[in-house]
Amino acid sequence: MTTDLQTILESKRRYRQRLAARPIVEKLRMLDALRERALLLRPAPSSVVREESTSNHADKIRP
Amino acid sequence: MNIQQVIRTINQMHADGIIESYAIGGAVGATFHLEPVSTLDVDIFVSFRPEPGSLLISPQPIYNYLTARGCATDGEYIIIAGWPVQFLPPTGALVEEALTKAVVYDVAGVPARVFTAEYLAAIALETGRAKDKARLLQFIESGILDASTFKDILTRHALTGQWAQFERQFLSDNL
Repeated sequence: MTTDLQTILESKRRYRQRLAARPIVEKLRMLDALRERALLLRPAPSSVVREESTSNHADKIRP
Repeated sequence: MNIQQVIRTINQMHADGIIESYAIGGAVGATFHLEPVSTLDVDIFVSFRPEPGSLLISPQPIYNYLTARGCATDGEYIIIAGWPVQFLPPTGALVEEALTKAVVYDVAGVPARVFTAEYLAAIALETGRAKDKARLLQFIESGILDASTFKDILTRHALTGQWAQFERQFLSDNL
């Protein structure tokens, strides 16, 4: 344990790098798990929480 | 809930001629380059085929195809393997170019077409919301962007002004 902010930030950076370097199959499984957890934590009437959409573009298409 | 199944379904749509080409964008696309980026939906950018006898492009064949295979819809989303998926047309020259330059990754034997890191970063800069800026910072801090390619994209798509502003706002103290 340390309380030195620079050490903490560097540790976080290294952890993110290790995660980024994981095989893509493993990272996609993590996305599945992260979404399931997010839905559990923030139940909504629909499975889709539009205001939390992470899409880059606002002009979504509709059929 | 299985995002790999989403990718397999999109590939099958391409093989069946429903879409011409596609690329995964948004947070899922970013996850191919960065650490996993939590998200609630999947953004698939597609080139739509014009309807027969029409010059207009339409996402209707996509929805018809997927609903015929048991996928539910929810507003502008279609649910594939438990994931809300949005199909997005290229909204400008940058995204159109990004689609043509997308790269194929191997996901346990399944090909997945994904925007390159440089295009995802440029799209984030162009879109410009707070979370897009956060993602752009992630790309920069990761050190994976090819600086020459990224700057070239910014120059050709008139994004150098936005980049200068972003640098002033977020990078001036860190460089």
